[in-house]
Amino acid sequence: MGRNSRSLWRTLMWAAPGIDALRTNPRVGASFPRPPVAKASFSLPRFCSTEVEPHFSPDLIKIMEQRLSAIEHRSAFLQNLINQPEASPTEYSRANKELRKLRDSMELINELRTKQKEIDGLKTMMDENVEDRDMLGMVTEELDEAVKEEKRLQQLLLQSLLPRDDADERGSILEVRAGTGGEEASLFAMDIFKMYERYSQKKGWKFEVVDITESDLRGYKEASAAISGIGVYGKLKFESGVHRVQRVPVTEKSGRVHTSAVSVAILPQANEVDVQLRNEDLRIDTYRSGGSGGQHANTTNSAVRITHIPSGMVVSIQDERSQHMNKAKALKVLCARLYELERSRMHLDRSKLRSEQIGSGDRSERIRTYNFPQGRVTDHRVGITHHAIDDMLQGEILDAFIDALLLQQEMDAIASFSSSDP
Amino acid sequence: MKPTTLRPSFTRAWPCMASNFSTFFFQLPPPPPLAHARNIAHQVRHRRIHSSLSAPPPPLLASSPPSQPLPLFLRPPKYTTTVLDLLEWHSWAKSHRRLCRLNWLMEDVLHGFDPSLMRKAVARDDPDVIISSRADVQELYSLWKQRMEERRPFQYIVGCEHWRDLILCVREGVLIPRPETAIIVDLVGDAISKDEGLREGLWVDLGTGSGAIAIGIAKILGNYGSVIATDLSPVAIQVASFNVEIYSLEDKIEVREGSWLEPLKGVEGKVAGLVSNPPYIPSDGISGLQAEVGRHEPRLALDGGAEGMDDLLHLCNGAASMLKPGGFFAFETNGEKQCKFLVDYMQNQLPGSFCNVNTVSDFAGIQRFVIGFRNR
Repeated sequence: MGRNSRSLWRTLMWAAPGIDALRTNPRVGASFPRPPVAKASFSLPRFCSTEVEPHFSPDLIKIMEQRLSAIEHRSAFLQNLINQPEASPTEYSRANKELRKLRDSMELINELRTKQKEIDGLKTMMDENVEDRDMLGMVTEELDEAVKEEKRLQQLLLQSLLPRDDADERGSILEVRAGTGGEEASLFAMDIFKMYERYSQKKGWKFEVVDITESDLRGYKEASAAISGIGVYGKLKFESGVHRVQRVPVTEKSGRVHTSAVSVAILPQANEVDVQLRNEDLRIDTYRSGGSGGQHANTTNSAVRITHIPSGMVVSIQDERSQHMNKAKALKVLCARLYELERSRMHLDRSKLRSEQIGSGDRSERIRTYNFPQGRVTDHRVGITHHAIDDMLQGEILDAFIDALLLQQEMDAIASFSSSDP
Repeated sequence: MKPTTLRPSFTRAWPCMASNFSTFFFQLPPPPPLAHARNIAHQVRHRRIHSSLSAPPPPLLASSPPSQPLPLFLRPPKYTTTVLDLLEWHSWAKSHRRLCRLNWLMEDVLHGFDPSLMRKAVARDDPDVIISSRADVQELYSLWKQRMEERRPFQYIVGCEHWRDLILCVREGVLIPRPETAIIVDLVGDAISKDEGLREGLWVDLGTGSGAIAIGIAKILGNYGSVIATDLSPVAIQVASFNVEIYSLEDKIEVREGSWLEPLKGVEGKVAGLVSNPPYIPSDGISGLQAEVGRHEPRLALDGGAEGMDDLLHLCNGAASMLKPGGFFAFETNGEKQCKFLVDYMQNQLPGSFCNVNTVSDFAGIQRFVIGFRNR
C-alpha cells in the first residue's frame, strides 16, 4: 500500500477496536512487529473482509452519496427512455442492457433510501417525545437497529461500487522458480510448491502438475501447476513475488544459516478465446529423437514447444504420455501467460497509485520471509508474522495471510475510490 | 532377504524415494473415461476364471488367436504388496533406468492408490502398509528385465499406448501407433471442415493395426458417417476390435479382416475417405532397425518390399477405384523420396484421377504424408 493511499485512508476512517483484538487473537497467533497502518486509522476484525464494518467518515459518505444519486439519475433517465414509444429498437435495447447492469445497485439504493426515511422518521419521533422516557427508550433502540442496517447497506453498496477484477473467479496457473541459492533454493521451491498443493487440496481445488524440472538433489528448479476451482485466482493472486527462506540447508555441513529465494507467479487461467489466440500466430515444434522417425523409431520421449510468434513467448512441455497431452498443457500455460501480459499492459495504463498497491504483479518484490531458526513466517506487505512455520508449509495457515492481504486490497480500493473524482 | 527386525530406517534407506514418491503420485492423471473398458475387463476376468475351471477356454472373440491379454491398467487389482516391497523393486528398477518410463509403469500398475497413505507410510517409517496392485511384484521384476535385457517396447510391457487423447491397447503382433501418425487424423479433420459432405460418408482405414486411426477418425466424425477398419493380421483384428469396444464405437467402426482392398467389396466408388499407414520401410532396412522395433514389432506392418513402396502403390491404385468423386485420401510414407515418387505417380500414371495432390510434413519437418482428392 502506497504512502499516499495510507494517509488518505487515515483521513477517511475512524478508529475502531478491531486491531487490538487481532493482535491478541490466540487462534491465528498473529503478532504485529509493525502495525500495517497507524492504530487509529481503521479496524481489522479477524482478517475477514466480509466481517468488516468500517465506520464511514463523512467524506466517504459524501462521495458515495454523489455516486449513488448519479446512479439514481441515470436509472430514472433510462427508465424514462424505455417508456417513450418513439425510442428506436437499438436505443431501447441499449438502455435496457444498462438498466439491467444497474439493477442490483438500484435495489440496494432503494433499500437504503427506505431505511434512511425510517431513520428520519425515528429522529422526528425522538424530538417529539423528549419527555416520554419509555417511548424514548424504544425509539432509540429502533434507531440503533436502523442505523446498523443503514451501515450494512452502505457497506454493500460501497463494495459493489469498487472496481472488481473479473479474473478473481478464475482458476490459476502456479509457477515456482528457484532463485538465488542453488540447491537450497530448489529444495525450498519444492517445499513452497507442495505448500500450495496441500492448500489447494484443503480448499477442494483441483491441483494438476504441469511440469517439474528437478535439481540434482531432487528439489525443483522450476515447477508449474494448473489449479482449478472457483475463485482460485482471487485467493492466490497476492502470492506472486519473491519468497525468501532462511535456514540451514541440508547440504550445509557447518550449520550456517543461508538465505535463498524462490519466485512465485500466479496467473489467471485463460483460454484461447480470452487471448484471441489464432492458429497462424503459433509455431508448434514437436520433438522426437532424430533419425528417420515414423515406423523406424519407437521412443517414449516426447516434447512440445509452442512459440507465440507475435510476442515471442515460448512454452515447452515434455514427457507426458502423448504429444496431445504435452500440447494441451503447453497451450494452457501459454494462454495464461498471454492473458497476464495483456492484463499487465492494461495495468500500466492505469494510475501510478494503482500500481503501488499490492497485487500489482511485480514478481521481483520480496513479499515474504520464511525463517526456520526462529520458526516464523513474515509477510512484508502487511507486516504480519506467524510463529508456526511448519503449519504454514502444510498449507494450514496460509489463509491468515491471504485474508489480511485481501482486506488490505479492499481498503486500498476504498481509498482510491474516494480519492478519485466522482 | 528382508529382516523382520532391525530393518534399516525406511526413510533413511530411501530418502529420495520419499520425496520422489509424493511428487510422482500427485501427478497421477485422473483415470481414463473407460468405465466401459472396466466392464469389458470384468467380463474377460470372468471368462478366465471359468477357463481355469473347465477346459477348453471359450475364445473371447470369434477369431483364432488366444484371448486378448489385458493391458496392465485394465487388469483387476487382485494383488497386494507392501510399500517396502514396492519401493525395493522401484529402486532396483531405477538403477536400470536407461530406457526408463518407470513412473508410467507405476501409474498403470497401482490401483486406487492413495498418495497420502504412501506419505504416511514413509513418514511413520512404516513400510508394511499394504497397497493393492494390478501385478505381482515378481511380475514387475520380470517385466522390467524384459524391458532392459530384451529391449521389449515399453508399450508392450504395459500393454497400451497413449496416442492423441486415446489410450489404445497394444501387444506383440500389432504395430505401436506412432505420434506422427496422429497427423493423419488432423488432416482428415481439416478435410472435413472444408467439405462437410465428407463427414457423412464412409471412411476407411486400411491396415488399421491397433485401430488407432480408425478410432481417431470415428471420434471426429461425431454423430455422422461410419468407418471400416481392415487388417490382414488376425491379432490386429482382435486388438482393433478390443479398442473399438473400449471406446464404445462398435456401431460406428466395422473391423474387417483381409488384405488391403479385399474386404471393401461392394463399396467401390462410394468411399468418402481412405487413409492408411502401410508398411513402408524398404526390406533391406529392416535388419538395421532399433531393437525395440526390429526385434519386437511385426514385420508385416513394417516391411514395404524392396523400395518400401509395394503397398503404397497398391493403395494409390485402390484409392482411384474406391473413392467417390471429391473423396479424400492420406497415406503415411517413409519420407521425402517416397512422397515425391507417389505424387509423381498419381499425376502421371493415373492422370485425371486425383486433384490437389500434396505432401505434408511431420513434426520433425520430414515430408511424411501424401494427401489429395479424387477428381469430381
